[in-house]
Amino acid sequence: MNEASEPAYAELHCLSNFTFLRGASHPQELIARAAEMGYTALALTDECSLSGVVRAHVAAQERGVKLIIGSELTLECGLALVVLATDRHGYGRLCRLITRGRRAAAKGGYRLTRNDLTETLAHCLILWLPGEAPRAEEARWLAAHFPGEVWIAVEVLRGGADRERLAALAHLAREIGLPQVASGDVHMHVRSRRKLQDALTAIRLNMPIAEIAGVLHPNGERYLRERGRLAKLYRPQLLEATVQIARRCTFSLDELRYEYPSELVPPGQTPASHLRRLTEAGARRRWPRGVPPPERAALEHELEVIAELGYEPYFLTVHDLVAFARSRGILCQGRGSAANSRVCYCLGVSAVDPERGAGLLFERFISKERNEPPDIDIDFEHERREEVIQYVYGKYGRERAALAAAVILYRARSALRDLGKAFGLDPHLCARLAKALQGWDGVERWSERLAAARFDPADPVLSRLLPLAHTLVAFPGFPRHLSQHVGGLVISAGRLDELVPIENAAMPERTVVQWDKDDLNALGLLKVDVLALGMLSALRRAFDLVNDLRGTRWALGTLPAEDPAVYAMISQADTVGVFQIESRAQMAMLPRLRPQCYYDLIIEVAIVRPGPIQGDMVHPYLRRRQALEPVHYPSPQVEAVLRRTLGVPIFQEQVMQLAVVAAGFTPGEADQLRRAMGAWKRSGGIGHLREKLLGGMAARGYPPQFAERIYRQMLGFGDYGFPLSHAASFALLVYDCAWLKRYEPAAFTAALLNSQPMGFYAPAQLVRDARAHGVEVRPVDVCASDWDCTLEPEGDGQPALRLGLRLVRGLSQAGGARLLAARTGSGFTGVQDLARRAGLDRGDLEALAAAGAFAALSGNRHFAFWDVAGTQKPLPIEGEVCGHGEPAPLLSAPTEGETLVADYASVGLTLGRHPLALLRPALRKAGLCTAEDITALPSGSAVCTAGIVLMRQRPTAAGGVTFVTLEDESGQVNIIVWARVGDVCREALLSARLLEVRGRLQRQDGVTHIIARRLRDRTALLGTLLTRSRDFH
Amino acid sequence: MSARRTIDLFARRDERPSARLEQSLPTGGHERASGAGQRAPRPAAPQPQVARGNRTPPAGRAARAAAPELWLGLHLTGAAGRCAPQGLQRLAIRALRFTPRVSLVPPDGLLLEVHASLRLFGGVEGLRRALRRECADLAIAGSLAFAPTPLAALAAARGECALVLQDAARLIGSLAPLPLRVLRWPQEVLDRLAAIGVRTIGQVLRLPRAGFAQRFGATRLADLDRLTGRAPDPRERFEAPVRFRCRRELPCESASHGQLIAALAPLIEALERFLEARQCGVLALECRLWHRHAEPTRCVLRLADPLADAARLTELLGERLRMLTLPEPAHTCELRAGEPVPRALCSSGLWQSGEHGGVPEARGSAFIERLRARLGPEAVQGLAVVPDHRPEAAWRVTEPGACAPSAIASGDFTAARPLWLLPVPRPLRQRDGLPRYRGALRLESEPERIETGWWDGRDIERDYYEAVDVYGRRLWLFRERAAPHRWFLQGVFA
Repeated sequence: MNEASEPAYAELHCLSNFTFLRGASHPQELIARAAEMGYTALALTDECSLSGVVRAHVAAQERGVKLIIGSELTLECGLALVVLATDRHGYGRLCRLITRGRRAAAKGGYRLTRNDLTETLAHCLILWLPGEAPRAEEARWLAAHFPGEVWIAVEVLRGGADRERLAALAHLAREIGLPQVASGDVHMHVRSRRKLQDALTAIRLNMPIAEIAGVLHPNGERYLRERGRLAKLYRPQLLEATVQIARRCTFSLDELRYEYPSELVPPGQTPASHLRRLTEAGARRRWPRGVPPPERAALEHELEVIAELGYEPYFLTVHDLVAFARSRGILCQGRGSAANSRVCYCLGVSAVDPERGAGLLFERFISKERNEPPDIDIDFEHERREEVIQYVYGKYGRERAALAAAVILYRARSALRDLGKAFGLDPHLCARLAKALQGWDGVERWSERLAAARFDPADPVLSRLLPLAHTLVAFPGFPRHLSQHVGGLVISAGRLDELVPIENAAMPERTVVQWDKDDLNALGLLKVDVLALGMLSALRRAFDLVNDLRGTRWALGTLPAEDPAVYAMISQADTVGVFQIESRAQMAMLPRLRPQCYYDLIIEVAIVRPGPIQGDMVHPYLRRRQALEPVHYPSPQVEAVLRRTLGVPIFQEQVMQLAVVAAGFTPGEADQLRRAMGAWKRSGGIGHLREKLLGGMAARGYPPQFAERIYRQMLGFGDYGFPLSHAASFALLVYDCAWLKRYEPAAFTAALLNSQPMGFYAPAQLVRDARAHGVEVRPVDVCASDWDCTLEPEGDGQPALRLGLRLVRGLSQAGGARLLAARTGSGFTGVQDLARRAGLDRGDLEALAAAGAFAALSGNRHFAFWDVAGTQKPLPIEGEVCGHGEPAPLLSAPTEGETLVADYASVGLTLGRHPLALLRPALRKAGLCTAEDITALPSGSAVCTAGIVLMRQRPTAAGGVTFVTLEDESGQVNIIVWARVGDVCREALLSARLLEVRGRLQRQDGVTHIIARRLRDRTALLGTLLTRSRDFH
Repeated sequence: MSARRTIDLFARRDERPSARLEQSLPTGGHERASGAGQRAPRPAAPQPQVARGNRTPPAGRAARAAAPELWLGLHLTGAAGRCAPQGLQRLAIRALRFTPRVSLVPPDGLLLEVHASLRLFGGVEGLRRALRRECADLAIAGSLAFAPTPLAALAAARGECALVLQDAARLIGSLAPLPLRVLRWPQEVLDRLAAIGVRTIGQVLRLPRAGFAQRFGATRLADLDRLTGRAPDPRERFEAPVRFRCRRELPCESASHGQLIAALAPLIEALERFLEARQCGVLALECRLWHRHAEPTRCVLRLADPLADAARLTELLGERLRMLTLPEPAHTCELRAGEPVPRALCSSGLWQSGEHGGVPEARGSAFIERLRARLGPEAVQGLAVVPDHRPEAAWRVTEPGACAPSAIASGDFTAARPLWLLPVPRPLRQRDGLPRYRGALRLESEPERIETGWWDGRDIERDYYEAVDVYGRRLWLFRERAAPHRWFLQGVFA
């Protein structure tokens, strides 16, 4: 049959993989296949969801396919139907219907009744899905309530009795007077996805495939079938009806018009005038001596662009959030590209002074060419961000505000675990299978990894399972479920639930739209990222502690600037706990870069990133900084751009400016270039922009080598280029942290401990570092500790740090609060007295005993536990303390090792000796030296040491190298494990808590590493000593 | 300060001090609570009393002097400990040889009171050797200990401490180094004891009695009292299980079925009485026939339900015997029953089954049992439907009666299925792309497409058709969807 004689057809019932664990194809694949098949239109009708429609919309525009938006629904009563939106109004109603169904059920489910349908739907067409045994009553009800808008969906799937079914439905149609239409119940774009579809069904039902064989579809007919085949199955009228319906559905997502909320403008003002007023007020605060002329000009330019694009309400919305947070004393600070904007600076959204962070580029933030909403990310204290989110819900209502979704995709491990279960493998085996792979293992390495974990990839089950897993993880990744974005809030002027369906999140009091951030971006919807930053909580606490102690009024950004002592400390890499520069890689860079001023800090933050490392910018910069290499600029214009970074482009903004000054790009084009840089790995290059860039530079007389190098460096940025604006925002926090660490280490450490979990280091390392800086740390004590760690003043010098009850593992917060309340009257006379007055249960008492917090009342832990055990029974007479009449038992004192183990197990740190100090005799015997011994050895010597694994890092940019930090009683040692060694000693590398390393010492610019040659797991030596390592991948 | 006396765990219970016991007290070698400075904040800690309590002599048991006991504890280790209880029971049966006082401590412990047997079996060493031999014989590994109380013997055996202690006075000192886990207390209790630094029996015995009972429960204290002999520790005796086994000589040598049955009848009746008395039934029955020259003939009967009814047993055994061909006449017969199994008793109805008001008899199962007795168990099987779209995987063989007939009838197929499937689909020849089977075939139906089963390696991709052959028979065919599109016959409609 040739193309022309095939009948026209539109598929009106089609599920994508956004009907989680049912659909087996991406929306993009379905669109592409529909285009190949020459379909007139394709309706994407995911079950009670519009999560996939934006991807489908984008793909449909590329392919020139008509996309119809709809949804398949099954009501409580069993009535199943497909709803298709005809126009904008119908689309809004469909969104509301889905919202209604989703909000009425727990996350992941929905509940709809016939009432919901009649009350909500309008301007929609309905296909009735008759099911195995058609119930005429359903059809009659639909026909009565939605006259002229209902069809009977006839789905011929070669079940063996299709002719009978066709006849029965035709009879029903005549009887009720409903038209019929052909549809395909499509679950996949090609029939070869049948196996995956079966496996997904098994995962959804949480049963092995073999046990649900009867539930699976009997064949793979639910795909986008060739029109020629359809012509053989259906009468022409039924196919013709699909096209007629498609014609009636004219809605496109392009029609969605998003409007910014407008209530923030006071009466008598326009958004523009209000924004200008706020900006001017802020400018007076920021520049008390008057706005410098260049800044004034830049400010005017920004306001002009904002007005032209109509973004004022967006800035007002963000300003409102920030103002709310400030009024509640919640620290917040903008991050990311917003720091490029002087308006944001004046509004207090960003804190980066444009004069100090020279080189900020407004076009990076907003550009006329891009015509995309600006993206403002604001960090709030991580423990108080919820207040801001609830403020938004309260102010705008749940119809107008919701969080953006995050689509959780299958990864190697989750795919193997779920598929393993679907294949009926033993749960242990599934876990082992999933564990055999690391998140960073590419598909091509799977066989090797599995073989290493003693799996045979040629095993019949694995050979069936693995190809399916490959499909699940292949780009762009199969969605598994919808979750919430970390903090992206969507706010609209009108009803948000007519723009996009809203559903419940797993967390109570949270609602989520069905689109993720890319979807929102693609349709130009406003999103404010309300992010959580632990360091802001820690900083606020540190300021509070210091201000209480010293009577000062320090706050964010008010500390004495550019203190040389602070930079001296940073240059020695003495930065445990300091925001951003505490990581191993940062610490290795600090002694080489030796930051001396704020701008150096910005560079420090930005340079230790995969982008600059892969673009080979780090070493040229360091060599030039150390004057080992001359700095040469090909032209004054380039010099103007790159002077502050010694001729090496380090920031995205510089690359954009280079494109402008050296290759003649407009600022907007330069921004396109930046985006292309971010996506080149996926799209395979930056396309025509490369010619334009190289051509432009050649035309302006730059040597081809220079042009080529700039181009290579741009590619190196890839996804990981760090904008100056972002680094500049972070560098402000870096300085504040470092200042506090330098001058108030006790308060700084207490604040960090009180904000756990956060940062790179566990409490044990933070406390060890504080003690190394001369801070006296006192143990948890029921008679002295607060819930939080506190400072105990010691004259004018550094106060002592008293560990808080919050560190006690297993102690309930309520119990802690009762204990503190009971203590306010008078001191405790004993454990029994404490237990009675604070009303603590045995769990809390044992937690305190395990922490050694009863030392002042009972003595050592053994006596504490004896006393605690004696308090269980309620006393017959109030006031009689039964512990007193009792003889004290003969109990041995815990050994040092036991105390240490107990310390780690309960508080996570010990104030006694380091565990390795106890093991040292054995380690010495084995010929292992300490971290201190190593400092005396010359570079290049063979060393052999062991330590507790503090962290393992495997940066994606490092090409399989793992960085390990070990700690012993005398200090830390940094280990570099090359991929080859890591593969050989994989077990030890991944699981050892106490690791022995043999290798060679390497010392350069004051940074010491051991290049590992062999690793050995010595965890057994620790016995039951609990240590925790933090792994970062 | 309380007026209560400090009493430690093994403080005297009666007023008769025993000089012998006092001498044997552990005095040195134990850690003492150290670091008085650490405990300085404790108010009025009455330590000295505890210290004196430590030296308080333990009680002797007056009763023990009268009837001294020596317990042998056996702890099964290794695989044997896990593959109990059969191993344990077998060993217990053998242990009855040494003493009538044998007790099981499942899953892995055995206790023998051997005081009276010492002389007979050559003392402790002789007993030890004898018991080791029995263990080796049964391929069981275990550790042994002798102590005056059962719990102590067992604890020492569990602690793999080859204790041989006949002198009750030295008991506590010998047990002191044993870890607490040998007492098999719940892990939670052991954890709490470890939290106060108590890990051995010696340490726990030094705790104040009242304080210990208050914190860890009176039952734990009772355990300790039984361990040290302060409290009696009666043990339930093990009795070897009995099985029915009866033998009878035939009046004359015979190979006749009738005579054999007649000869067996009293044996079966005896079996019935044996089982009735125990309210049990048997699941297996063996009849052995002895011949003058040939090897004995064995005839085994296996039953679906525990049975004790002589008539039924006779009937079923008769069916089995009928199948046998004897090599020569038998002169002796023997009946051996398997282990007696508890049986649900039922009362007889007033009405005969089938009569008005009578309960329908479970004739089906009796009939199946008889069929299986006659044809062999493999010859009678049941069928069950499996929900699977593949015809060959849509059914399976079951035990007869395991699947209700209704489940077979109610398979909800949308298209017709034949009742008879070929064991393996038979390839058909074809002409002009159409299948032939003893002549041309006429395809009657539209195709039913089945594509499934990929997960177990028996993937099928077929289009099924009904067809009529030249004789008018309706056949079930399929055509493979993959090239070369061969045709197969898979079933025939009734």
